[in-house]
Amino acid sequence: MVVLDALNYIKAEIDGSLTYRWSCRMGVCGSCGANIDGEPKLTCASFLHDFKGRTITIEPMTHFPVIKDLVVDMEDFMEKLVKIKPWIIRDKETPPEQGEYKQSAQELERYSQFSSCINCMLCYAACPIYGLNEKFLGPAATALAYRYIEDSRDQGKDVRFPIVHEMEGVWECTLVGECSVVCPKGVDPMLAIQKTKILGATNALKSLLMPRGGH
Amino acid sequence: MGDAKRYPELRRRLSSGWWTANRHYTMYMVREWTSLFVALYSLMFIYGLSLWATGSRADFLNFLKNPAIIGFSLIAFVFTMYHAATWFYLLGAVAPVKIGRSRTKPWQALVLNIILLIIISFLAIWLAVLR
Repeated sequence: MVVLDALNYIKAEIDGSLTYRWSCRMGVCGSCGANIDGEPKLTCASFLHDFKGRTITIEPMTHFPVIKDLVVDMEDFMEKLVKIKPWIIRDKETPPEQGEYKQSAQELERYSQFSSCINCMLCYAACPIYGLNEKFLGPAATALAYRYIEDSRDQGKDVRFPIVHEMEGVWECTLVGECSVVCPKGVDPMLAIQKTKILGATNALKSLLMPRGGH
Repeated sequence: MGDAKRYPELRRRLSSGWWTANRHYTMYMVREWTSLFVALYSLMFIYGLSLWATGSRADFLNFLKNPAIIGFSLIAFVFTMYHAATWFYLLGAVAPVKIGRSRTKPWQALVLNIILLIIISFLAIWLAVLR
């Protein structure tokens, strides 16, 4: 039995008005996030036996506006997700007849962990920087931006760089690191944010030293 | 996207004691605070050096021998070590070195950097004082 089963039991047997999001009940869809005893977790991936003999406190994810019970407003995150353009950008699309854009196993390895994000927003609930400043681009959106920046098939670096390096972008992060602790899929958004900082800094230095072609 | 920020009035604010909510937040906040001691120690040391520059070496040494300064230096040393250790660990987490097929672990960066710190510190003391 997981915490989600307990919520379903309450809704079915005790209070039908209880409202919460869930779908796959197997840690894939990312809809059932909540703060369980103060920690952002997926309710479907939190086993009740881990809380045996204790009263569990289940709250809506921190930092987000609460619509009802455990349902929070996701619009801000959705906006940020679209902002970083989470798709492969090409200077010029080649027609499908010319075949796929090839990629080696080593090239895939550079970004593969960051493509495991399920958009559950637990990292935002864990990030005090986002709690203090909602304009901060935040962990998941940056991890996804980095996923495309590091993708050998992508050519949209010049489009994404200004977005991730703006005032409320990666430089707002002060390395709390809790985003990577709570991620249920083993993604390390803190690493993605710092790597993006390194890329931005080296890029700025290159264009300063070699203004006519520092790429 | 037209519906963005439909419920801005429902956004919850962080309380000033948010960093006590879990161990990681507290460790992070202590790391941030320690930088204050690093800055204060630097100011104190610059003041000591200015005594030496305008007066004599004895003025500088007398300033350093003040019990309050010794006490503060010890506290600042502990906090500086905590500050350095947390950043060395983060350095290892953020920039692991790839050796063959495996990557270095954060604690390895911590240990290596602490060893380097000790060696460089002793080298500096040897060059400045003992030589």
